Amino acid sequence: MVDAFFFVGLPYLAIVICVAGCIWRSRYDRFSMSARSSQFLEDGKLLFGSLPWHVGIITILLGHLIVAVVPRVWSSLMTIPAVLFGVEALGVACSLLAIAGLSALIVRRITDARVQAVTTTMDLVVVVLLMAQIVVGLLSAITFRYGAAWSAGTVVPYFWGILTLQPEMAYVTGFPMLFKLHFIGAWVLIALVPFTRLMHVLAVPLGYIFRAPQLVLWNNPRRSRHAVDATVRAESRRDFIKGAVGIAGASGLLALGVSEKVLTYFKGPDPDPEAESALLQKKLERLQQTAEERQLELERQRVEMILVARYSELDAVKGKYFIDYAMAPGLAFKGKNGLPLLISAKCTHLGCTVGSQVNAEGQIMCPCHVSYFNIVTGQPNPGAPAKLPLPHLAWALVDPSGNVVASGRPGGEVEGTPSPELLAQCSLYITKPRHSA
Amino acid sequence: MNSKASNPRDAGTPRPGKELAEQFLNFPSVPLCLCGLLVFLLSSPSALAYPEFQAFVAKSSGRTVNCAMCHANSDGPEGTGPGQIGHLNAAELERLGRARSALQPGQNVDSPILNAFGNHIIKSIGKEKFVELKVSPAHLADLLPPDSDLDQDGIPDVREYLDGTLPINHNDGNPLLLFRHNFRANLVAIALTLAATVCGVWGLGHLLHGLAAASRIKDTED
Amino acid sequence: MNLPEIIKNSEAYVAERFPVEKMSYSAMVVKKEVPVHRLSWAYYMGGLALFFFGVQMVTGLLLLFYYQPTVSDAHASVEFITDHVPGGSLVRNMHAWASSMMIAAVMVHLLTAFAMKAFAKPREITWVTGVVLLGITFGLGFTGYLLPWHQVAVNATKIGLQSVQEVGQYLPGAMAEWPRIVKETIQGEAAVGQATLSRFFALHVIILPLAMMATLGLHLLSVQLHGMSRGIDGPPKRQEKFFPTFFIKDLTVWGFAFIILFVIALCVPFESLYSYPLFEPFNPKGSTPDGIKPEWYFYFLYYPLELLPFWVILVGSTVLGAVLMGTPWIFQNTSRRTLQILAVLAALYLFVMTVFGEQIYHMFKG
Repeated sequence: MVDAFFFVGLPYLAIVICVAGCIWRSRYDRFSMSARSSQFLEDGKLLFGSLPWHVGIITILLGHLIVAVVPRVWSSLMTIPAVLFGVEALGVACSLLAIAGLSALIVRRITDARVQAVTTTMDLVVVVLLMAQIVVGLLSAITFRYGAAWSAGTVVPYFWGILTLQPEMAYVTGFPMLFKLHFIGAWVLIALVPFTRLMHVLAVPLGYIFRAPQLVLWNNPRRSRHAVDATVRAESRRDFIKGAVGIAGASGLLALGVSEKVLTYFKGPDPDPEAESALLQKKLERLQQTAEERQLELERQRVEMILVARYSELDAVKGKYFIDYAMAPGLAFKGKNGLPLLISAKCTHLGCTVGSQVNAEGQIMCPCHVSYFNIVTGQPNPGAPAKLPLPHLAWALVDPSGNVVASGRPGGEVEGTPSPELLAQCSLYITKPRHSA
Repeated sequence: MNSKASNPRDAGTPRPGKELAEQFLNFPSVPLCLCGLLVFLLSSPSALAYPEFQAFVAKSSGRTVNCAMCHANSDGPEGTGPGQIGHLNAAELERLGRARSALQPGQNVDSPILNAFGNHIIKSIGKEKFVELKVSPAHLADLLPPDSDLDQDGIPDVREYLDGTLPINHNDGNPLLLFRHNFRANLVAIALTLAATVCGVWGLGHLLHGLAAASRIKDTED
Repeated sequence: MNLPEIIKNSEAYVAERFPVEKMSYSAMVVKKEVPVHRLSWAYYMGGLALFFFGVQMVTGLLLLFYYQPTVSDAHASVEFITDHVPGGSLVRNMHAWASSMMIAAVMVHLLTAFAMKAFAKPREITWVTGVVLLGITFGLGFTGYLLPWHQVAVNATKIGLQSVQEVGQYLPGAMAEWPRIVKETIQGEAAVGQATLSRFFALHVIILPLAMMATLGLHLLSVQLHGMSRGIDGPPKRQEKFFPTFFIKDLTVWGFAFIILFVIALCVPFESLYSYPLFEPFNPKGSTPDGIKPEWYFYFLYYPLELLPFWVILVGSTVLGAVLMGTPWIFQNTSRRTLQILAVLAALYLFVMTVFGEQIYHMFKG
């Protein structure tokens, strides 16, 4: 019975009072249909009260209105966690803003003598009721989270049921007390609209946002200078407001879109086991490759001879790459005399690796800047970017029992003349360059 | 191009022999030769790369292309490096054998020396047809499924093959086509960023206006 | 001239370049005005370069969280950033694209400042610090190019460092060895390797940015002290306030630049402009892939280097550097008209070499 009064009777009572009262007031007391300005009585605290209050409460009311008008679109938006979180955060922030503003307005209204003179009892009632309503709303939003998501399925059908004269209070009777208080407060406030300054809500002063500021000022010659200053001040104040709105909008979007991504960037990826093992595998291979290089380096520091290839693998036109004692690439060919021909493959121009294919003129080519080097002399072709010849490298041929049967020095001197049968069994080594100094 | 297809790595010291070489210093050992022989036996009969396709793509696209377009190793299948024949274990060798016998299209190919695109080619047209195509590499583009997009970058594999870009890397592709695809895919993010930037610049601008006006007022009061 | 007189003169010189009486908020910000005329767009170029530098700082710091400067891990860590870290590909691409955009903005800034004779007395310090900043910017580009440790990075760095050594052949006697010693000091060992990577990392991440910030401080201080150079011969159409009018326009330009950078970085991976084999991990034992090139902003130096004898480039770039440093004194009596023609010629050269360099190279080399 009590529920039926509060959730069906009171709403219709409030709506009837509100509609009839508004019509009556607009007929008989037209010029009172606004909140009476007290700006010229007190202009300092007003800005810090009125502005946050209005920004906060308008944002919150718009939120309530949008859910009621487009519940489906709204709830589909709320399925995105970031958006839901952002909306909730925005709601809480705005109600805090409204509470702060309203508190400033209350303090101003009860401490300033000039404002006191024009304050009616109804003004005080409205202010207290509004404060209670917002605090209850904020508390219920914090206690029962994510109302932005679930209200579309419960509160909205109830609200439309009232408007379409098919009230269904079952939607809301099970709610916690805090919510019920919030509903009751809302209907009471609606009933009070025609009798108080709340009436100015109906004016919807959208034009204020775009028109030039209008100031209520004392107009006499003594204060004309003051008027100019006040205008400039009003303009700069408007700039500040726009600036705050723009930056708040940008930071809101950033908070919604970027904060999460920055967090995940620092947190790092969360790969599935398969991707993770592929990743580890790759890293291991790279490490092994580096270890191999280090090993090659160490080997070249310590060992006097290093295996390049077996003699039978050598070819006259297709070189075999190896790493020489300077850790630079080298190429091994079979020379005209049947003996190995080892030449550095590090281009003397800018250090690229020379190709391994010998062309018809007996030259190998560096792909970087197109120098051709004769493999026998090492000389670059005339006009090539490279000016210096590729140096030849010292080598040794070792038979299967481990004896050096032939060796060559960079100058071209060759020691030993093994028979072709022996050659076929030999392996080719590079030998450590001797420093004559 | 041929110089690219060759593999310099297998000519270096065979890996297993290195520790031994340290022990025996300048004394070549029998085990070392055996290891070298083993590597040789594994790697030499594998001269089955298809540089014709590489040459065609490089010529028609004007981009540098290497074996990594279809093979697991950028120096091709020969050699002892990762993804090369000399590096395979028994299970992988068996997979290789199965892949090489996939003469007809439609078989599930998972060759260890090929990458996803290489396997995709053999699976789609079969090994037999592929070998026939050696004489006209351009026709490969007509035979591959036109809609397949292995890296999901909005450019079909066929197109990437002709463009000389990597069909399995979504960061590689014709820049214009990539732009078109990514722009569409990221429209929401772009719109939100645009809104945030406009909001921020507008707000900052007004804030600075306000600051300047406030400091002017302060000056006149002083 | 005796010593006291020298001291007095140099004191007066410095006092004129850094007037203490102007070092106040009101003189440097409130009273500063910007001329409005047909070349006013050039006033935004420096700010644009500053904006891109800011982007580089932010994205660079973000990349530092994942990048690992070792030869075995550098390439893998960069791949990890692009393929696995959430938003990593955007950050890395923004860093890559913004570096190119920063260098483009810096080049245009230099040319327009030259054409507008913005180096005339008392702005010599502004110009000289600007040239130093240009050098640091190129240094950042060169050192940053190596860090991903892929084929093109290491090979291009090798080529770049090798050309230092090439200078040796023109030096007499024992001096011929000096450039090689310089080169090996820079790269830290006989060949480009781990030592080089560590050094370039330190240069790219700490030393050059610090040098940049110090020089930038001096540059911006003198810009604010002396105000914008008038830039044209006649009187400007009007003057506008630097703060807030011009500054807000500057901000708007930054907003545009950010959106363009964001969209491009999000939609076009920087590496898609190059052939993929260039981005494989550097392989010291394999052959060098075709198409090793420096970044586009070195083309103006690179293609002539390919076509002409080395000593021509050496002499040319030494003269160019000297002229750039000495511009305020060399051109102090040159008319703006002549300067503009020179700047247009230089811009034409840069444009042609950057865009058509490769065709020109093939035209001469077949």
